[in-house]
Amino acid sequence: MKEYFILQYKMTNRRLKDFGLEPIFGYLLILASFIGLSLFLFYKTEFAQYIYILISLALTSKLSEIGRNDFLKLCFNGKHYKLVRIIENLTSSMPFLIFLIYKQIFIGSVILTVISLILGLSSFKTSLNFTIPTPFYKKPFEFTVGFRNTFFIFPIAYILTFISISVDNFNLGIFSLLLVFLIPLGFYTKPENEYFVWSFALTPKQFIIEKIKTALQFTSILSLPIILTLCFFYYKNIDVLITSYIIGCVFLITIISAKYSAYPNEMNLPEIIIIAISIFFPPLLLVFTPYFYIKATNKLQEYLV
Amino acid sequence: MIKVIELTKYFGTKQVLNNINMTFLEGKVYGIVGENGAGKTTLFKCIAGLEDYKGEINSDLRPLKNHLGLLLTEPFLFSKITGKEYIQLLCNARKIKIDDIESRNIFDLPLNQYASTYSTGMKKKLSITAILLQVNKYFILDEPFNGVDIQSNIIMTEIIHRLRELNKIVIISSHIFSTLSETCDEIHLLKNGVFIKTVKKEKFSQLETEMREITVENKIEKLKLK
Repeated sequence: MKEYFILQYKMTNRRLKDFGLEPIFGYLLILASFIGLSLFLFYKTEFAQYIYILISLALTSKLSEIGRNDFLKLCFNGKHYKLVRIIENLTSSMPFLIFLIYKQIFIGSVILTVISLILGLSSFKTSLNFTIPTPFYKKPFEFTVGFRNTFFIFPIAYILTFISISVDNFNLGIFSLLLVFLIPLGFYTKPENEYFVWSFALTPKQFIIEKIKTALQFTSILSLPIILTLCFFYYKNIDVLITSYIIGCVFLITIISAKYSAYPNEMNLPEIIIIAISIFFPPLLLVFTPYFYIKATNKLQEYLV
Repeated sequence: MIKVIELTKYFGTKQVLNNINMTFLEGKVYGIVGENGAGKTTLFKCIAGLEDYKGEINSDLRPLKNHLGLLLTEPFLFSKITGKEYIQLLCNARKIKIDDIESRNIFDLPLNQYASTYSTGMKKKLSITAILLQVNKYFILDEPFNGVDIQSNIIMTEIIHRLRELNKIVIISSHIFSTLSETCDEIHLLKNGVFIKTVKKEKFSQLETEMREITVENKIEKLKLK
């Protein structure tokens, strides 16, 4: 059992190293980000404790995936298996528990502990097997997959737009628009298997442009209801709306270019830092987007002619 | 025609392919056999352009990769893409427009289910269907018969015969000798990155006997089974 946790620790260190970070800095960065985001969440909303508990349980429930648990059952006998699962779940929820206690939310801490323990003794499928319909089936690739993984967020964004009009809060409406752009950005962070790039009878430039076109087209379709609604109710702020839309589009182009600039590896720390800096100062994208684009076309020459 | 000239491949300091020379002609089916690690998959990936190499690989149609249907031993599939969408993706990749994918589903696959939920054999059948619908001129099939049921293996054999009639170039690897002897015009034996033998159809049975003798030797005796 001890060996299992040592192995998990080693695997985590390897992932951090692959990401371009020394493990010690990686852990410090994760800790700092966790504390920062937790403080931000509790500062922003009165529902933070509920969101917080849900996030923790969502992460912990990933450990209950049936295939993973079948493997653990093969490795450990009944008693040790349960112990491993309980330790895993408590480790996973520990940072959240400590923060809840720090915030003196004791009932929430107890609820989180109890549910984490129960989850430790259960295993289930964490993904649904039925086919989720998608309007993007004609060009199946990461957008189709990403949409199926996150489809429930888009109705939430539309509800936020509706609320923004009800309470006359244009900023909330803009937030809902940015949310629709933020989710597809996540679709393009993981590199696909080389076979799928190799399969395309396109030049590197044609390949990236095709990717960008698809992403912009599909994201625009998803954002259209929000744009039209906000245009109708806030036509005086149409300039802000158009600017937000354009920034969203440019970020999509940047992330796709950045993805293939590191291909076949995942984006590393330098790319992520550049994109993070650009969030605070979007004009930098005018420099970084062409940089990533040129790097990506060079990288793809290994697979596309 | 595909012409491989002095192909050499290293992984680090380990030489995997050593000065391979070979010509593949239209309307012929070639079998590549060899033990695990002999270099078959590496050779296929080099021809496909998925690995860099020393030497030359030329073809009538260029770039070769845009006319090549490549079936990998373990086809990779996205987690949330249906069988139909997988075929659509590979057809889109070659700008092939197919409106009636369902009617071309000769292996009766559940095309509207996520392909990641398919069994090993079903995944292979899906990949084969997709590369066939891409209308390729060249085919490399790495272990096409492995994990596939008997009925589909019969269909697979017939497909390969039809590809030959259509004047395509087909290169197959398989560990099941009978499947190769049924489909191939010639078989090449790869060992430690070198082609050590080429056998025409009329001498396949002789090759099988030789391979059996070389492979088994007295290894079973060493087990001292009781």
